[in-house]
Amino acid sequence: MMKKFSFIIVALLLVLTACSNSENSSGSSSGNVTLKYWIWDKNQLPAMQDIAKEFEKKHPKINVKIEVTPWEQYWSKLETAATGNSLPDVFWMNGPNIVKYASNNMLLPINDQIKKDNVDLSNYPKALVDLYTVEGKHYGLPKDFDTIGLWYNKKLFDEAKVPYPDETWDWAKLKEAAKKLTNPSKGVWGIAAAMENQSNYYNTIFQNGGTVISDDMKKSGYDSPETIEGLKFWTDLIKDKVSPTQAQMTETKPNNLFESGKVAMMFAGSWMQIEFAQNDYTKDKVDVTVLPKGKKRAVVIHGLTSVISANTPHKKEAWEFVKYLGSKEAALIQAKTGTQIPAYNGTQKDWVESNKKFNLQVFIDSAKYATPLPISKDTSKWWDLETEYFKKAWGQEMSPEQAAKEVAKKMNELLSKE
Amino acid sequence: MSRSIGVKGKRINWIIHAILIIGALIMVTPFIWMILTSLKTFGETTQVPPVIFPKKIQWHNYSDVFGTLPFLKFYWNTIITTLAKTVGQLFLCSLAAYAFARIQFPGKNVLFILMLTVLMVPGQVFLLPQYMIMVKLGWLNTLQALIVPGLFSAFGTFLLRQFFMSMPKELEEAAKLDGCNHFQIYWHIMLPLAKSGLIALAIFTALWSWNDLMWPLIVNSSPDKMTLSAGLASLQGQHLTNYSLLMAGSVLAIWPMILVFIFLQKQFIEGIALTGSK
Repeated sequence: MMKKFSFIIVALLLVLTACSNSENSSGSSSGNVTLKYWIWDKNQLPAMQDIAKEFEKKHPKINVKIEVTPWEQYWSKLETAATGNSLPDVFWMNGPNIVKYASNNMLLPINDQIKKDNVDLSNYPKALVDLYTVEGKHYGLPKDFDTIGLWYNKKLFDEAKVPYPDETWDWAKLKEAAKKLTNPSKGVWGIAAAMENQSNYYNTIFQNGGTVISDDMKKSGYDSPETIEGLKFWTDLIKDKVSPTQAQMTETKPNNLFESGKVAMMFAGSWMQIEFAQNDYTKDKVDVTVLPKGKKRAVVIHGLTSVISANTPHKKEAWEFVKYLGSKEAALIQAKTGTQIPAYNGTQKDWVESNKKFNLQVFIDSAKYATPLPISKDTSKWWDLETEYFKKAWGQEMSPEQAAKEVAKKMNELLSKE
Repeated sequence: MSRSIGVKGKRINWIIHAILIIGALIMVTPFIWMILTSLKTFGETTQVPPVIFPKKIQWHNYSDVFGTLPFLKFYWNTIITTLAKTVGQLFLCSLAAYAFARIQFPGKNVLFILMLTVLMVPGQVFLLPQYMIMVKLGWLNTLQALIVPGLFSAFGTFLLRQFFMSMPKELEEAAKLDGCNHFQIYWHIMLPLAKSGLIALAIFTALWSWNDLMWPLIVNSSPDKMTLSAGLASLQGQHLTNYSLLMAGSVLAIWPMILVFIFLQKQFIEGIALTGSK
């Protein structure tokens, strides 16, 4: 009996020791340094690996270990790691989260390094450099950007004998075309008015001269009439029955409706081009153009960057890597895979040429008049508010005015606490 | 007379069977859908209305997942983790449960209540403290980080304690008269009698361990220290997920569990019926 008992204990111990003493993460006697680099998009892994390989060739003493955590869990993991003081050396950061991490001193400012190595910040779109500058400190060199375009289904336009959308279109023209394209007997809608901020209503808010948040990040813009009208643009499309209802779009994602020829138009980001090009249905039936004009032209721009952990023991090597990630060479590698538009000015042509099926140039052209994605320190808190109330407005349970005013009130409360 | 009862009985049998068949179909549909999706092209998976049967069967989805992810490593990690956690819980929880059920010692009630409170707190609350412990131990990105926090559970202890409580005291007294000490009573008398409870606990632990997603994702980062569930999650891109690949991976991930179920069907059902929960 005692034998059996001790057997179990020994077995347990064996398992434990078998898996321990495996690796001792980074740094070793030979002077080699391993940098950990966290990213969240599996589809961009090949491009990142190619960039890392080129970097290792130039810096034989530095190894880069790329680790992917899926988007859904990335931020929980990062937050846990930040609390546990075990952030990776270099990792992806986005607009909505930058202020939170920067103001909690989790990130290494790179002003001195930029100055010392003469990195020219005018190589990147200004909106993106500004996005990653918090209280005068730079935290990252822009990696990529995305803008929004009007995607349309050529086949459905031909069938309804409506001319394809182009840069002459404005809001009225879009609504008129949507009406003509809608064909209830075939189950086809003119447009998908999804409740999406970056892809949809932020664009129309800016086109109408509205704001989402004041420049000092202290006040919500949702109580201004211009902003409310930017929301009404979408809720009216549902009310006029030229878009599927909120319930229908919850059931089937607008992307999938578009990919099945059920909606003729949708606002969608440059990142969708890969999916549309891979899909058997959309690959030769759809194209893209600039967003229709409101009172003025506007589009939301956003992009990622790679930041350095404030506590990394390899500050010098991490900066070398970040500098390379922001270089023209890295941008060109990234461009060829087509996943994201590289941020380095002059390399975007390669991205446009990575896929000749669609008129991708519109995404680059619209960057000239783009507005950065609105953010604050705790962006996700008021993004949740938007979802909570606009769901009701999109579901026609609440007027857009009422929903916007509620959001403005609660958002102002949140912002006053930041 | 007896004939008519027979006919009636037969009819009721028919109805019961019909209901059961419908129920079985409902239960099995997601699995069939998963297998069908794993054989479709990417375009077919996003169509509305949905395409039910792929036009051409895409077997290469399976080799593609095997090519993109280190599946053998995932299997190994998952099996080791699951086995270690199950064995650990069976042993440690039953020891604790026996003490709580049968041994009188000062502070027992306080300890028991303390342990019950662990049951009441949602698991997410432990995430950060457990992570900090792993950081302090230098165990990030290791297999023992997956195993050790799951070696013991309040749930298992509670479950087995209820089992031991329901056993007749006389058995224990008889054993004592024969000169058994506590450990011998536990090992020779109690454990064999609590077999169905132990099996139930083993099933729960194995299932939870096999499916656990958040903890492995948080504590481990490199692909060769990932479990199946965490590795599969990494197939999801931010804007684009290839569902046929994801489903092919899922099929590969669940077949060992399905095999285990087929072989241990009887014990599974006994164990679960016994605890009255799912």
